[in-house]
Formats: sequence, C-alpha cells, structure tokens
Amino acid sequence: MININRVVGLLTQEFFITLRSLEVIIDILISPLTSLVIFGFLALFLSGTNIFIAHGLLSGVLLWQTIFIIQYSVSVGSLWNIWSRNLSNMFISPISLTEYIFTYSISGIIKAGIIFLLSSFLTLIIFHFNILSLGLLNLLLYFVNIIFFALWLGIILLGLIFRFGTRIQAFAWGVLPVFQSLSAAYYPVSILPKPLQYIANLIPVTYVFEAMRENLVDASVISWNLLITGFVLNIIYFIFAVIFFSFMFKESKRTGQFTRLEG
Amino acid sequence: MPLYLMPFVQANNMTDVILKVENLVKNFGKFRAVDGISFSVPRGKIVGFLGPNGAGKTTTIHMLLGVTSKTSGSISYFGDNFDTHRETILKRINFASAFNTLQNRITVWENLVVFSLLYEVRNYTKKIEELCNHFEIESLFHKRYNDLSSGQRTRVNLVKSLLNDPELILMDEPTASLDPDITDKTLTLIEKLKKEKNLTLLYTSHNMDEITRICDEVIFLDHGKIVAQDTPLGLTKRVKNAELRLEFDGKEKILKKYLNEKKSVFSFPNPNTVVVKVEEKKIPEIIFGLSQSGVWITDIEVIKPSLEDVFLQIARSKKHDKY
Repeated sequence: MININRVVGLLTQEFFITLRSLEVIIDILISPLTSLVIFGFLALFLSGTNIFIAHGLLSGVLLWQTIFIIQYSVSVGSLWNIWSRNLSNMFISPISLTEYIFTYSISGIIKAGIIFLLSSFLTLIIFHFNILSLGLLNLLLYFVNIIFFALWLGIILLGLIFRFGTRIQAFAWGVLPVFQSLSAAYYPVSILPKPLQYIANLIPVTYVFEAMRENLVDASVISWNLLITGFVLNIIYFIFAVIFFSFMFKESKRTGQFTRLEG
Repeated sequence: MPLYLMPFVQANNMTDVILKVENLVKNFGKFRAVDGISFSVPRGKIVGFLGPNGAGKTTTIHMLLGVTSKTSGSISYFGDNFDTHRETILKRINFASAFNTLQNRITVWENLVVFSLLYEVRNYTKKIEELCNHFEIESLFHKRYNDLSSGQRTRVNLVKSLLNDPELILMDEPTASLDPDITDKTLTLIEKLKKEKNLTLLYTSHNMDEITRICDEVIFLDHGKIVAQDTPLGLTKRVKNAELRLEFDGKEKILKKYLNEKKSVFSFPNPNTVVVKVEEKKIPEIIFGLSQSGVWITDIEVIKPSLEDVFLQIARSKKHDKY
C-alpha cells in the first residue's frame, strides 16, 4: 500500500534538492541538451544526404536521455541523502521501502518527461526533426520499455550501493555508458562484432532502438516482435532487480553497512 | 535473577510499557555486539543508556530503529511487534542524534516540511514555527542546513524529532556540541515534555550530569551485556567509597598515624590538606577520631560518588558480578 502523503514528502525533498543543486541541474538538464546539440550537428555533418542516419541518431539521443535521467534519479537520488548523512532519518520515518523506490521512480519519470519535451522541442527547432514522426503508439511502446529498463538498472545499482557503500557510488553514473555502447542506441546491432551482438540481444532496449530505426522508414508499422521481446526481457530483469534489491537491502542491514553508509 | 536486574522486573510487569526488548542479540560474523539483552521502558520514564565506546549502545539503538537487523530476540513497542508493525510504530516514535544530520543541500524550513510530510503532521507550518520558536532557530528557516553550526544543526534535529508528537524518542547524545545554555534549555524542554505529555525517552549520553538530572533509570551496557540497571541514585550508592577532604592545622604526624591505624588510603595534595578514600558510612567515625586525637580540623568536604565513578568502575572492571 502506497501512502500518498509520504510519497509527496519524498518528492518534495527531490524537488528541493534539484532546485538547489547545480550538479543535478547540470547532470539532467545542461549535459543532455548539450549532447543533443553536439550529436545533432555531428549527425548532420556525417549523414550528408541520408537524412535517416541523422534522424536515427537524434532519436537515439532523445530516448537514451530518458533512460539516463530515470536511472540517474533512482540511483543518485539516494546518494544525496547518504552524502548528507540523512539516509537513516529517512528510513526511521514511517516511509516503506516500496514507497521509497516508487517515489524515486516517479521522480525520475517526471524529470525525464520534462527533459524529453524540452529536448524534442529543441530538436524540432534546430534540426527540423519531429520525434512524433515515429508514431505516437510506437513512442508510447518505446517509453514503456525504456522506463522499465532504466528502473531495473537503477534499482540494481541502488541495491549495490546500499550493500557495498559509497566506494562503488561511481556505478550510479558509470554503468549506463556500458549498456549504451552495447545496446546499439546510435547504430544498428549488425554493426557490432558477433560476440557483442549476442550480448546486445540480451539487453531489452536493443530491441527498442532496432524498432525505432524501422519506424524511421515506416512509422505506421509497429514492430511487435522486437518490442515484445524487449518487454519480456525487461519484466524478467525487473523481477530479478526487485528480488536482488530486497536481498541487498536486508544484507546491508544485517551487516551493519546501512548505518555505516553515512560514515 | 541477579540482584542488579531487580529494579526492572517491576517495569517488565507494568501494563503500560512503551518499549520491550527481550533477549536481543546481534552478531557481526563471529563478533557478538549485543549479547541477549532484555529491558523495558515504561511510559513517561526517561531511561539512560550508558556504556563505554564499543559497549553495544549504538548497535542496540540502530536495531530499535530498524536500520540494523537483529540476529535474534524480539522488540516490541506499545505491545506490538516491531517486525510486523513497523509503519504504525515509527509514526509514534522519533529519533534525535548529534551525529546524523538532515539533508544539507536544502534549507532548514524545507527539511522540516519534508519530515512533516513523511510523518503526516497536520498543520505543520504552525508546528514547525512553534518548535523553532522554542529552540530559538526561527532566524535559520531560510538558511541551508549545510551552512549551520553544529549547535544549530543539533537544535534543528531536535525540532525534527518532535514534529510528530512522539510518545517515545530515542536520543543518541542529542546535546553533544551544544553550548551550556542551549543544553540546559533542551533538558528543560525534555523535562517539560515528560511532565506535560508523559513523554518517554531512551537517552544515551556521555554527560553524567545530564543523565543524573533527567533519567529515572539507567542501563549500563558493556561488551554487549547489561551490567547494571538502577536509578541514578541507586547506582551511585553501589560505589561505597567517597572522598573525604580535610583541611587541618599542623600535627601531620598524628594524622598520618591515625589514618594508618585505620588502614585508610590517603594523600596530601598540599601541606595542610588530606584526601582520604573511605566508605561513606565511616566518615563520621574518621572525623570524630581525628578530632579526639588532637588534630584541629578547619574545613571538611565530602565528595560523594557520582554516576561518573560508577561508569569508570564498570568500564574498567573485568568482572561485573559485583554490580
């Protein structure tokens, strides 16, 4: 059972932290928008007359930003409380673990939604590419998949941070680029060496980006095979992530690591 | 049951027990940090939790708050098991410590609003203003928590711990880093809350004067075990030796001879002063004997054992049976 007051309380804290932390504003607003502009011009420069390559790259950047912001919110959100030595205060309030994770997920989705709208508008103005040209239903299906992906990855990383402490905090922002290179966000899977293709096929969002490239050619097609494969993988990983996080959280409390997180 | 546990038998039998701990054990690998402790905290009482560093106090407090899991034993608040009623219990208790802080990026007001929402405090604006007014920190509302002095932070932490009108507050050295004036105000507020709202506290501190002033009962922990439980007065009475400080006029030889005959332990910090370590009940006999033997006593000071003496004896003792 989710208590709305407590979710609003934690969301309020997230809002205040975002408002007052230049790092967060740079990480989730300035950096993504700058990357978008850089990738956009690079795409225009490299694609020449083939506009699909440019649009593929821009779509990849827009979707990847969403993944990054959600995962960042889930994993780094708790680090702000750990760095402030406030995590214990949060967990000795009546907030439940479910409410805690739920709030950071909602916070990430809201932030990602806002940045996506802003980035999409910027893409339309500067690069004359409308992300809606991929099809509304397609976009919705992509979002379901990328939100799940970002959440389970964020939850696993948060579990690792709770269990092993801030010595592995760099995972919170350092693991995602590994997935970025393997999930063929900006290029087709077929361009990867064969062994890496096998790994790419295990990553749910690989299928989203493959579907996205198909929709660049024909937006009326819904690549159900690809999207359902990605979704099934996401569900499997999400279930694993919840079990893994729950185990890591219990271990953190059993070993005393949870209270040592705050130094 | 050992004699030192007797005072708390009464508490265990009381119907209005706020916190009950039974056979609580915590192992970290092969190391046993808390070794089967049992105690109760009755409503409206302030129970001091004392012990040297590494005694298991903090681990126990962490288990009582649910941020460290127990190896075995049971914790119940208000008659409900903490494992199965976590949410409802945490709504009714709170915690204050000088060592963990609030979110340092945001302002004092913002922090208190967040915790008011987490604890579902009604009319929280008024509540925050009232508490901040009492602790004289209204001027800090719009300051970032990170920019506060340690004393200011402690006061904000105390406000946070009182937001939900808790029935029990666990306080881990809440006055560490406060100046004497604010410490006194904090203790006065605690005494007032106890009187007016029947507030219950589990209180750790290294300041023995504080413990003596506000605690109804004291639990001494050492090596994960409860080694003594009693009222502060009851505990000090267990230390039999007091210090008798006498100022005298000449005749040091007679004085030495008399004290040696009585097999007393004594020293001369300066030429006309002697300090005798003696059982409290023998003090009249010593004074009478000395004056009979011709020593002219000009000043008498009896330094009774304090809780600090009890603490030192327990901390330095290998065998705790005598407590």
